Amino acid sequence: MRRIDALQVLVEGTADLPVVVTCAATSRELAAIADRPNHLYLLDSMGLAGSVATGVALGLAGSAIPRVVAIEGDGSLFMNPNVLATGGYLRPDKLLLVLLDNAVYGSTGDLPTYSARIDLGALAAAAGWSVRQAADPRTLRAEFAKALEPGGPAFLHVRIEPGNASGVPKLLEDPVVIGRRFRDWLASR
Amino acid sequence: MTSPYAAAVAQGIWASGAELVGYVPSVGVAPVITALGRPDLVFPLSREEEAMGVIGALPLTGRFGAVVMQDNGFGNALTALTTFNVSYHLPLLIVANIRGGLGEYNSMIHSFSQHVPALLDRLGVRVFDLDRRSGPADWEDVVAEAGAHARMTFRPVVVLAQFWATDGKTA
Ligand SMILES: [Mg+2]
Repeated sequence: MRRIDALQVLVEGTADLPVVVTCAATSRELAAIADRPNHLYLLDSMGLAGSVATGVALGLAGSAIPRVVAIEGDGSLFMNPNVLATGGYLRPDKLLLVLLDNAVYGSTGDLPTYSARIDLGALAAAAGWSVRQAADPRTLRAEFAKALEPGGPAFLHVRIEPGNASGVPKLLEDPVVIGRRFRDWLASR
Repeated sequence: MTSPYAAAVAQGIWASGAELVGYVPSVGVAPVITALGRPDLVFPLSREEEAMGVIGALPLTGRFGAVVMQDNGFGNALTALTTFNVSYHLPLLIVANIRGGLGEYNSMIHSFSQHVPALLDRLGVRVFDLDRRSGPADWEDVVAEAGAHARMTFRPVVVLAQFWATDGKTA
């Protein structure tokens, strides 16, 4: 399963949920599958998707929205693994972090991350997240559905193959427009 | 006894409209956190860049928050602050204790903190200064008005507060 295959499954499951997505290839590929107002693309804030999703989840506490989905990469999460400790400490009820783990920095020449030796899912579990795993589209669909059930921060560890989809255009939208579109979508829920 | 300056900053933060407050610990910030109370709404964050992401995201949900930190933490925060809060036009109140000013005993902290006002200015982040030349009532008003300024300009706004040589000297 490549990143774009995993994103295809996540697109099917997130039509009615806010999605905060990490920068570069992941944002581009998600937008190429479906560019929707419930997507908040972080165009250049590597490592911040989990933190932003934590803030959105805290801000939506008490709202009717059941889950806030962060789509993060392994290189990006290793850049800010504090997301795991903070999520475990604050325990935002609606937070679901989906980690697309290909063990490389997929947007920067496929250099290896720590992922071959360090299990980010185990780190999340140690911090108190409920952790699920998937490595193929069918399991991902099933585990994602289970991870949507309410209750505390959830972590879905998805093992994917390295490799970016070809022919995907750059995402050149003004971040202010992306943010406003996301905010308006949330306000309309 | 709570320092009147710390209490004024805390009252100003609540008066600014902040609904949640994230802080990165500092000895100068601690009396403000104590004065803020409300542990259900006030919580620690591990690092300043994380604070920019977590508290900075609140306006996307129609809410508003504040970060309390010390000024040398802007070194950690700058990339998140510019690529997220500034680029997405997200209002945020940041109240930072100055470590780089008169009376600071820690020699190496000046190497960064001395340059914080100029760095923030270069990035186009609005800064309001507070020091011993005004009293607690002015501190409270400036902090509260800085929050309104952040929302009015759709941008993060920083208050640099020099507790040294106020009643916060022991901090
Ligand atoms: Mg990767």
